[in-house]
Amino acid sequence: MIFAMARRLREAGILGMNRRNAEYIMRYNPRSAFPLVDNKLLTKEVAERFAVPTTSVFLVVKNHGDITKTEPALGDRREFVIKPARGSGGSGIVLIVDRSKQGFITQNGETLSREDFTYHLADILSGIYSLGGHEDVVILEALIHPAPVFEEVTYQGVPDVRIITYRGVPVMAMVRLPTRASDGKANLHRGAIGAGIDLSTGRTMTAVHRSQVVSTHPDTGKPVSGISVPYWEQMLLMAARSMEMTGLGYLGMDLAIDRDRGPLLLELNARPGLAIQIANRKGLWGRLEKVDKAPSQVFATAESRVEWAQKEFKD
Amino acid sequence: MKRSALWLSLLLFLFSVGFLTYRILGLGYPSIPTVPGQTWRFSIDASIRPKGAETLLALALPFEQPGRIIIEERVFSRQMTLTIVKQGENRLGILSEFGMEEETPVTYTAIIHMRPKRPIRSIRPSLGDFPASVPEEGKALARKLVAGWKDLPPPEKIRAIAETISGQWIHSPPAEGDLRAWGEMRDRLGLETSLLALFSAANLSARIVDGLPLVESITDETDRWVEAWDGAKWVGIRLSTGETFNDLQSWLPLSLGGGRAASVSGGEIANIRYSLNREVLTNWSLHFERIKRSPSLLDRWSLFQLPEDFQRTFRILLLVPIGALMISMLRNLAGFPTFGIFMPVLMALAFRNTGIVYGLGIFFGVLTLGYAVRRVLDKLHLLLVPRMSVLLTLVIASFTLVALVGSKFGVREFMAVGLLPFVILTMVIERFFVLTEEAGVKEGVRTAVGSALVAFLTFETISWEPLQLTFFLYPELLAAVSAFQILVGQYSGYRLSELFRFRKILGSS
Repeated sequence: MIFAMARRLREAGILGMNRRNAEYIMRYNPRSAFPLVDNKLLTKEVAERFAVPTTSVFLVVKNHGDITKTEPALGDRREFVIKPARGSGGSGIVLIVDRSKQGFITQNGETLSREDFTYHLADILSGIYSLGGHEDVVILEALIHPAPVFEEVTYQGVPDVRIITYRGVPVMAMVRLPTRASDGKANLHRGAIGAGIDLSTGRTMTAVHRSQVVSTHPDTGKPVSGISVPYWEQMLLMAARSMEMTGLGYLGMDLAIDRDRGPLLLELNARPGLAIQIANRKGLWGRLEKVDKAPSQVFATAESRVEWAQKEFKD
Repeated sequence: MKRSALWLSLLLFLFSVGFLTYRILGLGYPSIPTVPGQTWRFSIDASIRPKGAETLLALALPFEQPGRIIIEERVFSRQMTLTIVKQGENRLGILSEFGMEEETPVTYTAIIHMRPKRPIRSIRPSLGDFPASVPEEGKALARKLVAGWKDLPPPEKIRAIAETISGQWIHSPPAEGDLRAWGEMRDRLGLETSLLALFSAANLSARIVDGLPLVESITDETDRWVEAWDGAKWVGIRLSTGETFNDLQSWLPLSLGGGRAASVSGGEIANIRYSLNREVLTNWSLHFERIKRSPSLLDRWSLFQLPEDFQRTFRILLLVPIGALMISMLRNLAGFPTFGIFMPVLMALAFRNTGIVYGLGIFFGVLTLGYAVRRVLDKLHLLLVPRMSVLLTLVIASFTLVALVGSKFGVREFMAVGLLPFVILTMVIERFFVLTEEAGVKEGVRTAVGSALVAFLTFETISWEPLQLTFFLYPELLAAVSAFQILVGQYSGYRLSELFRFRKILGSS
């Protein structure tokens, strides 16, 4: 039974963890390029050089001594985002939507006291959220106002789009929609919805919530499939450029769509998860193999790679 | 890269097998190190009364055969010097001294190990002549007596000859006159020689054996029996009754071919005592005794040469890589969640002192308490390092409490709690908390149970004595273990857990 099951997965071209690590991450992602994606400040720097828009940082807190200077430095900003530079999976990120006498109001309506605020910055600096527990720095950046496209299927927070690229070719994509259960975070582990996106049309397809296939958002009750993602070609191009940007061959790019600025790069991931296959109900492996068989001129430019991907990966 | 990894693991595997084969074939290591056997302490205590210028005592000493090994032997005599002489299969210990005057004691002891499952193998003997003391007419008589048994198979012939001891002629009884002549010959030459004459006439090899039955005993004389070759093995014949027996493993031969077990020239044996006692020897000391005396390079570099205290450490240490291999398999083949990579191995090592039940109990107890405290600490907003320090202090405090409770109620396992890896436990609490926060309590519990299960499996493996002994004798097996580790590292197929995780994708298509 086990072998029959494994054979069916293989036939469906589904990528397993072992193969992802051994044949794609280890082969195409040089260790030396990891800091570029693990540290959001470095990612931003390199993205700028490649004309990939990112969220705008207004303050970086590097030392515990600077924590007290943070609030004065905010000036009259009422909304912003606190992020650990080396965090992953959205941990440690706090969205501040307003300020009050007591302190700061977070996106889910709770008040973060000044003391809590200081504590959170100190936590980030100590490296609690950082990969490998190293010391970290805090990024304060402008709050993203999500484009209205996903408004009906989002519970608070900011939905994000994940695109996986292989050798610079976009191979699979999904949008992650926060739910009440996920506490407004676009994190599948915590209960966000993942909806697969058809690469050729940019329309959402099937969706998965806690490994169950769903057709509507559990909090809003609105259908999650059939939504046309705006700026789709542009986002695919941004993702395709990630290879030249980082030198990594197997990469996950997370983007958010700001209502004013359009798609913005949130972060890169050198070890993107495999759940995207469940959201798309398609195997990644089959697509990766297809990319390996593509004629060499396909890889010439980001544009040619996107064009090829949109032709090949129709759903 | 794939191919080179395969070659490397093959190389490591062959290295391991090569060493192992050399030890087994070249140095006589046991292929299965823990086959149960019997160990006997055999001793001869003799007292020699000298008479004449040179006194010579010849003692037939036990000899080795496949299935019977002599682990240790000692001769003690205050005056006489020893030389050991090999005569065919026999070993003779010759003690000699000039001009002795007083009665002198001689003691010989040997530790003999018998492997009951391995029958004593013998090489086919060459056909012996008639004993020298048999006259021509005796030979003719013997041939006449056995003439009717020519067509019997050898085992039957042996039985027929053996039966004559008690005066029974089961096949073609001889004529009255021959029988009388045979009786006279027996009286003249003795039973042993006459029997050998019959065997010789019947074209069978036979020999007189002097030795002892392997039972707990103290005796002042050895037993004598006849062994005859039935074409495949030796068959014993009791001289007193003529019964045949096949369980030669339960006899200890000292002298083959009719020689006495002890003889003396230039003096006499005032008294002699043979004693046999069962010894309880662990497999460890068995190998230790053998390797200690071996001159071979590999044996001199054996782990058995370490002082005993350090040996104990290595018995366990050598199995830790197997634990690591198991973790690699459980994580990469089965997709088992664990806290950290080697945390379960460290827990398993600690469980050796607390026992598995108490160990796991303490583990989950401290984890639960730690989790509760960690929740409270979260509200206090402590910085990372001081917070971890608080958790560490909590872990140590709970250890102290458990140890005190153990001491109060006399539970040794509780007192051994201090050997649990407290740093690891502290980190597990923190990771458990973060995991439950980020991925939910279910995921946290799953990982905790997974870790405990892996620790349990590892514990069972490293506590298995036959495996300890095997790796201790053959440390080159580590190369084979790493060969398997490399193979697991090469596995790029699905993990067992993924079959279920991705089942949903298949269901729809």
